[in-house]
Amino acid sequence: MAQLELRDIRKTYAGALDETLKGINIDIASGEFLTLVGPSGCGKSTLMNSIAGLETITGGSIVVDGKDISGMEPKDRDIAMVFQSYALYPTMSVRENIAFGLKIRGMPKEEIRQEVERVADLLQISALLNKKPSLLSGGQQQRVAMGRALARRPKIYLFDEPLSNLDAKLRVEMRTEIKKLHQRLKTTIVYVTHDQIEAMTLADRIAVLKDGELQQLGTPKEVYDTPENLFVAGFMGSPSMSFIDVDVERTETGLSVSVEGSDGRTLTLPVPDYLENWAGKRVILGIRPEHVSQPDEQKRDNPMVTEGRFTVEVTEPTGPDVLAVIRLNDTDVQCRLDAEHPVEWGEEAELMFDMRKVVFFDPESEKRIRP
Amino acid sequence: MTDVVRTGFRPSRIAIYGVLLLACLVYLIPLIIMLITSFKTPMDIRTGNLLALPTDWTVMGWTKAWSTACTGVQCEGVKGYFWNSFKMTVPAVLISTLLGAFNGYVLSKWKFKGSDLMFGMLLFGCFVPFQVVLLPMAATLGKLGLANTTTGLVLVHVIYGVAFTTLFFRNYYVAIPDALVKAARLDGAGFFTIFFRILLPLSTPIFMVSLIWQFTQIWNDFLFGVVFASGDSQPITVALNNLVNTSTGVKEYNVDMAAAMIAALPTLVVYIVAGKYFIRGLTAGSVKG
Repeated sequence: MAQLELRDIRKTYAGALDETLKGINIDIASGEFLTLVGPSGCGKSTLMNSIAGLETITGGSIVVDGKDISGMEPKDRDIAMVFQSYALYPTMSVRENIAFGLKIRGMPKEEIRQEVERVADLLQISALLNKKPSLLSGGQQQRVAMGRALARRPKIYLFDEPLSNLDAKLRVEMRTEIKKLHQRLKTTIVYVTHDQIEAMTLADRIAVLKDGELQQLGTPKEVYDTPENLFVAGFMGSPSMSFIDVDVERTETGLSVSVEGSDGRTLTLPVPDYLENWAGKRVILGIRPEHVSQPDEQKRDNPMVTEGRFTVEVTEPTGPDVLAVIRLNDTDVQCRLDAEHPVEWGEEAELMFDMRKVVFFDPESEKRIRP
Repeated sequence: MTDVVRTGFRPSRIAIYGVLLLACLVYLIPLIIMLITSFKTPMDIRTGNLLALPTDWTVMGWTKAWSTACTGVQCEGVKGYFWNSFKMTVPAVLISTLLGAFNGYVLSKWKFKGSDLMFGMLLFGCFVPFQVVLLPMAATLGKLGLANTTTGLVLVHVIYGVAFTTLFFRNYYVAIPDALVKAARLDGAGFFTIFFRILLPLSTPIFMVSLIWQFTQIWNDFLFGVVFASGDSQPITVALNNLVNTSTGVKEYNVDMAAAMIAALPTLVVYIVAGKYFIRGLTAGSVKG
């Protein structure tokens, strides 16, 4: 368990014109679970390899418990990593795989045996200890890979997209396992993923990266409810947030925007007072599927809630609810509807817009307009 | 299902197998003639049919070729040269294979500035004909004091072979995931530990490919043998040439054939023993983690 500070990390690959990492600053508290999330090519794996020491950084420093480790060899950093491909040594048994790092570090045989058994118990792989990795299923290999990392009791654990090679069901199971493990061991974990659901469910805090720059660092709730910019808003959440171009208007009852459905009918939506300075200007309205639903009696009295009739273009039943697409201002908008009151495509539906949690963005800077 | 069974009796099937059998025969005839001739008496060879089996089976040709046939002035058979070839081939094969493995490891897993260029230039070495290096190599061996020695010959074959073995191992190791090396580095393994504990144990198929390739190349080499070795250190290929070309008295085809068989046997044995790995190694794409 250790505290990790990334200070202005920069990385330019030899021969590359652009920086891959453009000054990343993140403080990770001891025992914290941080996920690095972003689209492929955003630099998250580079950042992870840099923390591990597998790649040298061209600027900044990596500090663990107050000690700068930027120049150290990977083996001296006391960091363990779980790889996407598991990277188990194919010629060694599970036991030897877990023991390899301990053996190299010169731990006495008896202690190694105990440590391997402790880890095997923890991950429920005791029965597999004498098997070769190639005989194991993907999920079992995943456990062994984690066991190898756990055995050394390092200061920091790095997970590099560890679940992306598993099938969907197993991925969800292992996700829960990792979360349980973290709650039990309270270790410092940096977890890279491109899957925003994994990021949301696992993390204490999420760091969203894009093009080598940190877009936002915050708790899952912060990142989801108050995204810093259009990119974060669009990246986090599934189905993702819909963005509608709207003009802020001033009326007697307050500020509002109007949206036009595919049949030409318009609906006026109330917007919060902090858009005062934007009256008469164009903004981007970010609205999540759960903000548009079937009418709910309990919400109806709220001044920030409105209803309107719109034609449903597409419906996608997911089981617990139905995702419907309507068109507002020539943009597809996803709505999350109750599965008990199904709507067919082409039909008109009475929809309720809950404007309390919608967000607005400056079309120029693409940054969120803050209250 | 019945269709499949019935095809076995179709005339086209018979024709295909007939052609295949014929092709096999064409390939086998030289070997058959060599084998049966080596067991014939000189009399039998002169009077009988080339393809006929020996009337009197005798190993006289083999024993003579092994221990008493004349290779130039000496008449001690090819046995000394046979061992010469071993003394040259075994170390040359092992050293060039190990060096190749090591080069391949560095060029695939520890890339440095210019490593790809270096690999490209090494590849170039595969296309350099033997004849081109004869003179410079002779000068080098002379300067090193290794002219006309088995050690010198080993050195020549190692240098010449490293280009090929590096190519084999480098391409094999490229397919092994880098994550394996990264994981080992984080586990605390150093440069050599990773090579010996992680990569070499994975290398059996390509090791066999390199072994067979190098053994065949070096054992069968004539040019380097005839140029860089003389007298007692000559390999069997040179001795075979001398034996066949020694023109005193009647040509003893049975001895020639037996000597040729002796010269060819070791490569055959290597192929039979390690052959199954050869194809496997050549087609091995990746290693499953």
